[in-house]
This record gives sequence, C-alpha cells and structure tokens, in this order.
Amino acid sequence: MRKIGGEGEERAARFLKRLGYEILHRNWRCRRGEIDIIARDGKTLVFTEVKTRRSTSRGTPEEAVDRKKQEKLRLLARYYIHETGMTAPVYRFDVLTVDAKSGEIKLLKSAFS
Amino acid sequence: MFARVYGCTIAGVEGKMVDVEVFLSSQLPSFDIVGLPDTAVKEARDRVRAALKNSSFRFPPQRVVVNLAPADVKKEGPQLDLALAMGILQADGKLAAPTAPWAFIGELALDGALRPVRGVLAMVLAARDAGYRNIMLPLANAEEASLVTGVHVVPATSLKEAVAVISGEQPPTAVPRRKRQQRKNEQKADFKNVKGQESAKRALEVAAAGGHNVLMIGPPGSGKTMLARCVPSILPPMTEEESLETTKIYSAAGLLVENSGLISERPFRSPHHSLTPAALCGGGRNPRPGEVSLAHNGALFLDELPEFRRETLEVLRQPLEEGFITVTRLQAAYTYPSRFMLLASMNPCPCGMLSDAEKECVCSAGQIYSYRRKISGPLLDRIDLFVEVTRLRYDEVAGTGQGEPSSAIAARVGKARSLQAARFAGHGIKCNAEMLPRHIQQFCKPDAAGRDLLRQAFSRLHLSARAYDRILKVARTIADLDGEEDIRTKHIAEAISYRQTEFF
Repeated sequence: MRKIGGEGEERAARFLKRLGYEILHRNWRCRRGEIDIIARDGKTLVFTEVKTRRSTSRGTPEEAVDRKKQEKLRLLARYYIHETGMTAPVYRFDVLTVDAKSGEIKLLKSAFS
Repeated sequence: MFARVYGCTIAGVEGKMVDVEVFLSSQLPSFDIVGLPDTAVKEARDRVRAALKNSSFRFPPQRVVVNLAPADVKKEGPQLDLALAMGILQADGKLAAPTAPWAFIGELALDGALRPVRGVLAMVLAARDAGYRNIMLPLANAEEASLVTGVHVVPATSLKEAVAVISGEQPPTAVPRRKRQQRKNEQKADFKNVKGQESAKRALEVAAAGGHNVLMIGPPGSGKTMLARCVPSILPPMTEEESLETTKIYSAAGLLVENSGLISERPFRSPHHSLTPAALCGGGRNPRPGEVSLAHNGALFLDELPEFRRETLEVLRQPLEEGFITVTRLQAAYTYPSRFMLLASMNPCPCGMLSDAEKECVCSAGQIYSYRRKISGPLLDRIDLFVEVTRLRYDEVAGTGQGEPSSAIAARVGKARSLQAARFAGHGIKCNAEMLPRHIQQFCKPDAAGRDLLRQAFSRLHLSARAYDRILKVARTIADLDGEEDIRTKHIAEAISYRQTEFF
C-alpha cells in the first residue's frame, strides 16, 4: 500500500512542477502528522493532499478527504505557518488525485478552505 | 456545470412550481440543498445519490449545490426527488437539456424506481397554469394527473426510464386509460329503512336541499346516527367543479386511492369525538387538510356533539361562517376550502331521557347545565335546524311498513338545488345556506303575514341577527322544495319551528 501512495506522490510532484509550482516540502512532518506536498504557486502557499487509488470500488479518492481529514490539514497548515514564522501568508488547500492504473491526475484547487 | 429543471411542491392544497438549480464545482465532493427545504427534501440527498448509482449513472464526485427557488417558499415532501436527479444528470453532462421545459414530479426509491406522491392533481394544475406542457410523473399517479386537460403527461416507472424518454431513446408510455369510475354499488344507508321519524326526515330533507346545518337532539337509541348516515343518499350529485375541488383536497391529504379518478360522491365524514382541534381544522408541522376540509362539498357528521372537546368545537366557527379555514404555521399560512353541511347529534342530558315521554330522567339540574354548556352560543347560532328525535312507539318499531325511499327524497332535493343554481348563477354561491346578507335581501322577501310572524318569533325566541338570517335562508329552501318563487307564511312558520327548541 505504501508503495502505491509513494508512487502517486512522486507523480503528483512531477505534475505540479510541470505546472510551475515550486515544491517546498515533500512529506513535511511534525508530531501531529504529515502534509504530502507543500508548494508555492506564485505567491500562494499550497498545501496539497495526494490521494492515490487503484479503483473506486471503495469510493472515489476525493471522497476520502472527509471532514476529519480536512480539519487535520488545517491544523497542520497552521502549525507549519507558525513554525516557519510567516505572517499572514496567502494559502489554500488542494487535493490531487492519482489513478494508479491509468496514471490520470486530477487537481482540485481550493478543494476546501 | 449548471442546470435548471422544474419541480413542484404543495402549499395547502395548491401546487407551486419550484425551480431546481444545480451547480457542480470541482471541489471536494459534497451535496447541499439550499432554499428552505424541509426534512423530506433534505433526505432526498441520500435517495437521489443511491437512485443514480443504482440506475447505473454516476453521482458526480464534485461539490453539488442545489438551490430551490423561490427561496422564501417552504418546500416539502419527497416529490422533488425526480427533479433533483434530472438536474444533477443535466449539470453533469449526462443528459441534454430537453428543448421544451418539463416539470418533474416523483419520489425515488433507492433502487431508482419512481414512487407515487400525494397532491399530484394540484401540482399538475399548477404546472399547467404556469405554462408547462410536459409533465413527467410516476406511473401510479398518471391516472390522477390525466384529469387535467391541456397538458402532456408522461408516466415513468423508474429514473432510468425517465432519462431514456427525455433523451428520446425510448418512446413515452401512454397514460393508462381512465376506467370510468365504477360506481361501487355499496349499499348506501337508505331512508326507507328508517321507521317513523317523519319530522326528522323532513328536516334532513330541508337541510340537504339548502345545505343547512342540523342538530338532532334525542334520547339514545332513537335513531339519530342512523338518520345521519342516510343523508349521503339524498345529497345532490357533485358538479364537475366541485368534484375537482374535493379531489384536490383528498390528493393533498394523500387519501386518494391509487389509480382512482375524480371523487364523484359527496364526502361524508364522521370523526370520533376524541378529535383534536388540529385534526379537525388541518395542520401539523407539514400541514395537511383536516376533517372540515375533507368534508368540503359534503357533510361533516359530529355524533354526540357535547362529547367533543370544547376547543375542538370552537374551531368550527370560521369554516361554518366563511367556507374556508386558514391554518397558520411558523413557515406559512395555508388556506383550505371547507364548505360543508354540519350534521350533529346529541342527547338532551347526560342520561339521555330528559325529553322522553315515559322514562324518567335521572340527571340533576347541574349535570344538565354543564352538559349543555359544552356547546357554546356562537356554535348554536350557526345551526339552522334543530330537530327533536323521539323514541319510537311499539307499533312504529314492530310495523313492517317502509318509509319513503331515499331516491324519491333525492329527486325533490335535486329539484330544489337546480332552482338555487339557476338563481345564484353569477353570484358566486351555490346553495341557500351560502347566501350573504345582500343575497338574503334580494332573494328572501316574505309576504306581510310572514314578516309579522317573524317579528313575533324574534322577540319570543330572543333571536340573534344571525339566527334571524338563518330562518330566512331555511324558509327560502322550504319554498324551493315547494317549487315556489315567493316565501309564504307557511314556509316562514316551518323555518321558525326548526328554531324552536326547549333545550337551548
């Protein structure tokens, strides 16, 4: 399982780079958890959650980012901003889904806020 | 991305068109419905999601926002399910928007089947009047909808079928031919089986002929209930318009038997005396018509009147006077039509023997007083005819003779009603009981002797102005039964006699 997720994140990072994002961190960790990709899109700080799925039989990857997960990401983002000492950054949360079979990538910008 | 389809909701007994706007945006999947939906509409989220998936469509993995407009009308009921599903399919690009606007009505089952809903008649009427020519609805409701002319009703049994028809992949099913409503010859109680009680029968004939309210007073077992049950057999048939009104109410109440046509029989409601005010006047959190409205264009029979709760009886005042009832709830006020003939019965005292010639009454004066007091003056004032029903003598009970059959009485009633219909054409009323003061002035002109009699009665019986008007209305009906244009002294005298009672 971890292998699939890792491959997905690898593809996701390449995809974002092609879009012109500057990747700041991959798998940024603190003791509360982990953010898959932290990047910069122009002046905007982007916290990206990557979801990789081989099939949608257990629901679509987007659906896996439920309220609990969203809350967690908000918390981690605040943590990150605090830690790096940024003041009033512009940031957003994206969700990036990867179909492990076809390699199809879908980016949901501002998936939640 | 965006789609707009049309559905309907019910407010009171009237249908209202609802614009269903669906917007899909590339965000995390969610499904929200805004625009004052009630619980049943909010629950549509889960039904629509499952129905789409089980009809082999996908539920878009996006943020789905549905707006129901106009936003200030409370949307109730599950009949918006189909419109919601159609809107989502269109917004998702799975279904092209039809060239002509359609109205969609129907509740979805989880497997995608379409379930019948209540209030279809009113909703189809509303859709037609709003200019929609094409209406899709559950097959089980198609027959009811086909009562409305000038619209194209397309029935469907499932979401899949509905989509196939809209996209033109499948020709629409024809609406099942309406069976002529078979007059189930269920034996209606007939006056010929009621022995004796000639004066009571006469009073009920007068009441039926003019649509008047009656209170029957008599000891237990004297036949009050039986007499009342015979009344439907002498009521005149409903006009097409009345049928439609009554059917609409039953449809909104969800009481229309599946696949039945118009209600053609005048309703006869006899609720139990444990009735609550809300059940009588209509209401509830999602208001539904009450007994007074279910009796619209028919008769409401309240047996053992003093046993009803006082606050229940007081509710009757507005419908008895106005012919409609307004129910106000947090979200909206609904008006239900409720023009009915009130039939009531009671005992003269708690033991029931007060008026009996032979048996002794065992009630104290205080008991009798509190029994009578349960029926308020204002309510009594709205009764047109008071009838005393007496216990039958032996020779009457044992006699084998039959009374006059209902059909003969019904013929006289019908004649009197057609006189009234001709008289009131263009006045917006149908029978004598509905006359307003200006109609009374115009149509109820007794002769000199009659006026004399009225003056005496007025002071002797301590009549109210309303009771005075009611005597005139009843006299008008009695004259109509005689086929006479003028109200004569004997008509006035008979009308006054129905007012004279030693009980009140």
